[in-house]
Amino acid sequence: MAIGATQGVIMPLRALLEKCLMNAIKLLPDLLISQIAAGEVVERPASALKEMLENSVDAGAADITVQLVQGGIKLIRVMDNGTGISKEDIPLALARHATSKISTLEDLQQVVSLGFRGEALASIAAVSRLTLASRRAEQKHAWKVQAESGRLSPPEPVALASGTTVEMHDLYFNTPARRKFLKTEATEFSYCEETFKRIALSRPDIGFTLQHNGTVRRHLRAADPRSRIAAVLGDEFSQTSVLIDEQAADLRLWGSAALPAYSRASRDAQYFFVNGRFVRDKLITHALREAYRDVLHLDRYPAFVLFLEMKAESVDANVHPTKIEVRFRDPRALHQFVFHAIDKALATGQPASRGSVLATGDQEHKPNDRGNTDMAINEKAGAEFSGYPRQGVMSLKSYISPEPPAAAQPQAFYSALFGVEDDGLKSAQTVLDIHTAGTRAKEPEVPPLGFALGQLRGIYILSQNDRGLLIVDMHAAHERLLYEKLKSALDNHTLAMQPLLIPATFYADSLDIVTAEENSDSLSELGFEISTFSPTMLVVRSVPVALKNADVVKLARDVLSDIREFGASQALTSRRNELLSTMACHGAVRANRMLTIPEMNALLREMEVTERAGQCNHGRPTWFEISLADLDKMFMRGK
Amino acid sequence: MKLIQAERDTLLKPLQMVTGIVERRHTLPILSNVLIERKDDKISFVATDLEIQIATYAEDGDTVSEGYAVTVAAKKLQDILRALPDKTQVTLETDESRLHAKAGKSRFHLQTLPAEDFPKFPVGSEPQAKITVKQKELKHLLSMVQYAMAQQDIRYYLNGLLLLTEDNDIKVVATDGHRLAFALMKLEAPQEKREVILPRKVVLELARLLNDTDESVTVEILQNQVRFSFSSVVLVTKVVDGKFPDYNRVIPAGYQKHFDINRQLLLQTLQRASILSNEKFRGVRLILTTDNLRIVCNNSEQEEAEEELELHYDGEALDIGFNISYLLDVLNHLSGETVRCAFGDANSSALITIPGNDDFKYVVMPMRI
Repeated sequence: MAIGATQGVIMPLRALLEKCLMNAIKLLPDLLISQIAAGEVVERPASALKEMLENSVDAGAADITVQLVQGGIKLIRVMDNGTGISKEDIPLALARHATSKISTLEDLQQVVSLGFRGEALASIAAVSRLTLASRRAEQKHAWKVQAESGRLSPPEPVALASGTTVEMHDLYFNTPARRKFLKTEATEFSYCEETFKRIALSRPDIGFTLQHNGTVRRHLRAADPRSRIAAVLGDEFSQTSVLIDEQAADLRLWGSAALPAYSRASRDAQYFFVNGRFVRDKLITHALREAYRDVLHLDRYPAFVLFLEMKAESVDANVHPTKIEVRFRDPRALHQFVFHAIDKALATGQPASRGSVLATGDQEHKPNDRGNTDMAINEKAGAEFSGYPRQGVMSLKSYISPEPPAAAQPQAFYSALFGVEDDGLKSAQTVLDIHTAGTRAKEPEVPPLGFALGQLRGIYILSQNDRGLLIVDMHAAHERLLYEKLKSALDNHTLAMQPLLIPATFYADSLDIVTAEENSDSLSELGFEISTFSPTMLVVRSVPVALKNADVVKLARDVLSDIREFGASQALTSRRNELLSTMACHGAVRANRMLTIPEMNALLREMEVTERAGQCNHGRPTWFEISLADLDKMFMRGK
Repeated sequence: MKLIQAERDTLLKPLQMVTGIVERRHTLPILSNVLIERKDDKISFVATDLEIQIATYAEDGDTVSEGYAVTVAAKKLQDILRALPDKTQVTLETDESRLHAKAGKSRFHLQTLPAEDFPKFPVGSEPQAKITVKQKELKHLLSMVQYAMAQQDIRYYLNGLLLLTEDNDIKVVATDGHRLAFALMKLEAPQEKREVILPRKVVLELARLLNDTDESVTVEILQNQVRFSFSSVVLVTKVVDGKFPDYNRVIPAGYQKHFDINRQLLLQTLQRASILSNEKFRGVRLILTTDNLRIVCNNSEQEEAEEELELHYDGEALDIGFNISYLLDVLNHLSGETVRCAFGDANSSALITIPGNDDFKYVVMPMRI
């Protein structure tokens, strides 16, 4: 019996092996190719939805409706009022490597649409039952085709308003192995909803509707970006976030970043768009994390919706099957830029909601009629695209122009909001400046943090300003003031280096050694002197004076790995800041220390001019405001 | 059972000798205890932290009872004895689990732990080297270098002091990676070459326990241990296992630029200047020109201290920065009248010595300000 059982196992293996050895190389059937491609692109209903939505966006739709049944497993239907596809092009739309979006290598390098591979519909069609119905405005009626396992039905007429409707039935009906990987209906729906949110955030000028099992889950009217962010992420987010608009050379970063008070326990509210495309990039994440480090508790995650705009040719989106990763041409500069933009915004940060400038501005965001734009396979499209203006930071006028079927950034709308509407985008002035300037001009007498009234149990300072009551945590506030002072004192100081009498040697891998050799200049700017000791060892000869008692080898390793990964290292600064933070904490006034009114006022005035005074060194808030209106509500006055 | 009756100081003195190494917080409770043991007419007190073990004796004329051994919280007993009036007669008694200290009308009842659980470690017998010197000489030798030991450095072997016997010399070296102090003392008899690293704690404890007298101290280097016997104290320590940096390569030779200066004068000048040095960097600039030394300190608030000293210097002009604490340390711990400072260039180490004396060398790295 035992022998038989063993043979039973061995036989199929051997058979398989023989089959592999004997078979000659041959081309795979078309359907199989598509199914393999689909394996990468269509991972779950949400990824199919992403492709379908991106097509609708690229088609210049002004209104997109998504209908899901059973979390998208049974049915995903995306209906748009975009340009539509002509009857002749419909079969091509479902063919592999057929697209209207690019036509040459140059187009690929400067691609501005979300899609460009021409694979999405073909891949989806390979693993589901797909129906595509579309009508161009000038056509009398729509045409539809059905695809099942890669076989197309002939086009037949159907009734449809202009635009395109794509239906995906029974995902993975022909690949049962894949079907087993699907999660429950609720989980799949939540993935779909996340995809929907990402696309909706990136294009506030388009109206979106999401239905699940017949009920409307989300309905987003075309709006200005701020309202769209509020509609998608909730009012709380938009009220506790700062607006960012920074520009340097060919880069522009704008959007909202939540203040540390609105931090999250997970990474769920992090939306970063590069040229209108949602990405999860290691470099960007690191830069943001570093920017938040000083104000955020370690196991909290920042929340943000940020749009990075750069020349299409300095970013390569063709890296990852679902395009969630991108590659930047100059990662070091980008890291620095993002870090400083966010750092600066957080340093001055006051929640945007405290101003009125942020009202929606002149509503330039009426849905554009781009009905004549062509999404579909149009031979002329290529020519059109090459004539499309390509500037580093694209002027919004070009986006409003009806022609390009671009993955247009919602720039016009953000610009309107941010008060930099004339196409220059020259002014890198932040809204914050405008905002605070405005407030100050209005009430010159009462400072933002008001005048102290007294002290509450030796812990809190009570203060009143023109809006109401302020409660300030005295220790936390003072701690931050001292910390910022220590930091700026050290920042202004030239970096002193302590050469080591007994240099520290350590074993390093060849990557570290190359990094140390290539970056010796930037290392010495940081106060480090690292040289090669032997082919496998590095030696640290000098360290920054402020860190002379730290674990030299560990510090060197941290710095090297940071430089290798991100081109720059904040490791030293953050170690130094830890030390300063402890010093500040010990130096700050403790609870139960009685302060006089002039002392309290002095503290408040100092807070107003200190960066990041809104959070203590550990990321807790230092003050709260209770407006008169809130107080009135508590006492039911005026009801 | 009555253990002992004696005057307060008879008990307090030896207790204070051994409690220096007892850690206040320990995971092993018995380590905060002292072992009190009686054999014949000698009462011994033993404390340990598993690395170091100190034992000392109290003489007691009358033989109250047979031998005994008990352990009790060292710091508590010491505090009680210290708080009693001078010359008080103290009686210690034990029952099964407690120790009773009686003095006049005061009664203290302390918890005891069994003596057989006390982790006395075995002391090797065969000494590889044995040196006998005067206590004050050893104390002086250690004090010349001990301030340069590292404190909680990741390179654990720097958190200690290198003790070295060679020919007719006994040498000590300490460094924290930024500066290094070296001192030697001549012996009468030539010695075999031996090298051990003493833990930082032992060095500090020896500095405290050694007397400024001509009484002798015997240093025995054993297998992985060193034993110091002096007065009535026997201190045994395990040595730090590690390779101490080669101090000979660090000490520079042949420096041409140098000046001699009164130690007190330089010390006081630097102390004044240090008030306005940056409290984090502690930087000081020494600017040497012919027959003139200018000392400049400034801090992050842009405050500045400037001192000038006239001295004999005929070398090249030099502008060099240091951590002022490293300079103050050495000047504070030397005893001679004059010191000699010698320099290479602004990026190489400086050497501080006593003119006409090769027994002391202090090397300090400059700081690039």
